[in-house]
Amino acid sequence: MSKIILQVEGLHTVFFTRQGVVKAVDGVSFYVREGETFGIVGESGCGKTVTGLSILRLLPEPAGRIVGGKIILDGKNLLELSKKEMREYRGSMISMILQDPMTSLNPVYTIGDQIAESVRLHQNLKDDAVEKEVISALRLLKIPAPEMRLHDYPFQMSGGMRQRVVGAIAMSCHPRLLIADEPTTALDATIQAQYIALFKDVQRQTNVAIVFITHDFGVVAQMCHRVGVMYAGKIVETATTRELFKAPRHPYTSALINSVPRLDRKDNRLYSIEGQPPSMTDLPRGCRFFPRCSVARDVCREQEPGEVDIGGEHSVSCWRVS
Amino acid sequence: MSGKGIEGSLRRAKIFQQLTLYIPAAVLALLVLAAIFAPFLAPYSPTKTALGQRLIPPFFIEGGSTAHLLGTDTLGRDILSRVIFGARVSLSVSLLVILITSTIGTVLGIIAGYLGGRTGTVLMRVTDVSLAFPAILIAILLAVVLGPSFKTVVLAISILGWAPYARLIRGEALRLREADFVAQARIIGSSPLRIMVRHIFPNIINPLIVIATLSVGLVILTEAALSYLGAGIPPTTPSWGAMVYDGRSLIDTAWWISLFPGMAIGLVVLSGNFLGDWLRDKLDPRLRQL
Repeated sequence: MSKIILQVEGLHTVFFTRQGVVKAVDGVSFYVREGETFGIVGESGCGKTVTGLSILRLLPEPAGRIVGGKIILDGKNLLELSKKEMREYRGSMISMILQDPMTSLNPVYTIGDQIAESVRLHQNLKDDAVEKEVISALRLLKIPAPEMRLHDYPFQMSGGMRQRVVGAIAMSCHPRLLIADEPTTALDATIQAQYIALFKDVQRQTNVAIVFITHDFGVVAQMCHRVGVMYAGKIVETATTRELFKAPRHPYTSALINSVPRLDRKDNRLYSIEGQPPSMTDLPRGCRFFPRCSVARDVCREQEPGEVDIGGEHSVSCWRVS
Repeated sequence: MSGKGIEGSLRRAKIFQQLTLYIPAAVLALLVLAAIFAPFLAPYSPTKTALGQRLIPPFFIEGGSTAHLLGTDTLGRDILSRVIFGARVSLSVSLLVILITSTIGTVLGIIAGYLGGRTGTVLMRVTDVSLAFPAILIAILLAVVLGPSFKTVVLAISILGWAPYARLIRGEALRLREADFVAQARIIGSSPLRIMVRHIFPNIINPLIVIATLSVGLVILTEAALSYLGAGIPPTTPSWGAMVYDGRSLIDTAWWISLFPGMAIGLVVLSGNFLGDWLRDKLDPRLRQL
């Protein structure tokens, strides 16, 4: 087993709003090993993106704040770093890929300039050495004719190519951890498959650890080694991808897997989970999934279930298991 | 349409585009040269009065003479000479004022918009107060305290003139703060200062150029109004604005007194706008390769 590079322990992130304090991330713990991809799956608004932004400490201030927990990257607790130290970590140790490649590049600079900016920020190199790094980043992401493309402006590229450029910026300083926030959602299906294959390749070459945030189980199956299922600010189940698909233990996980459309089944009605996720300002007292759960018991209404380790890197927070 | 037709219209568009650059650039260059070499170009001293030669019309209408190409004013001063010398004041005042106001406005606007928070609120309240003040009143006050001079005029127009820039730039910075590419810059570890200079500023150059070129006219007119009120540059120094005002009571008989300096103002403003448009297109990477 390779070394654990990121360990998140009991992360609590809140937003102060007019409606009250929103516990967007409420005690999330997970770890990622070197060269491993950890998926975070869940519905919109469950706190996936906020978890990602918390790791980079890039929450929208002053509304969002991390109020508890530890984020340990390669032995250092990121929450104890000064703002300046954190800036040095960003880009060089941790990086992130955003969802929409059409808006995440600056329209006034060539892509070469934008990759070079990241390289210059973290390494003291001469111009020709910088250009070498830029070209090798473009090569890593398999952008054809990198020596020519680096003079292009973002508007001259397609969405798929732009997302590769975003990937090249993220990988330009050889980070140990990459957070990918739905990087394939804005791409069309064929490009999506290419991008995932590309990233698996990038990971093989660089041994980077990836936290892959998505709502798409298909992407999880292809990309992730282990998965955490998030619901209303908590991770309710963590397991290896294989185990999660084979033997999901949390009713929410099974419901999510069942709601993926399948071509190999006869019944053509698509399964969906009844009801809505709870309001984040008014969470139920017991289990958060209780109001929508088809197998709930009395205890689920009253008390929140704790996390139970059921062996083989599989843990669940559900009364039916404990 | 035939290929030839498309090529033809492309060529015409290109020629037109070049004309909108070269003509205004030439006009401004000529005016700047005229301002610099005014003593050699002007046929008369701009301040020399000749009461015997009052209100001579320009040469192309009856009663005019080629001795005074654009005629003379109520004191018999040569209009052409005064327009040439007036370029010095009007051009240098507007250039200085625009440089000062756009710099202050941009810096404050970006800080207020990007950093926001308490700093932003304070800056914007100051801007609101500046916008609410009547500029002319402040200018007169300054002229009284400091005495009318070139420096006073520049200071008087600049002291409140930055506020509209700050307002507009703040709005743009506020919008860009939420842009994904700014988030991207934070992700690679850029500092706030770096983000403001490298990522916000280049993206607000377009609106900045537009208001800067549009304000050329406004500055020249404000300078004129100040001269009219006696708070401007002392009257012996000719300025276009003051000349327009000089001729206002005789506009139905001796219209040339106001018309020629007015045309000069119009030329500068128009050239400024054309150049601004051209510069904006040039700075837009999407249009750069056309």
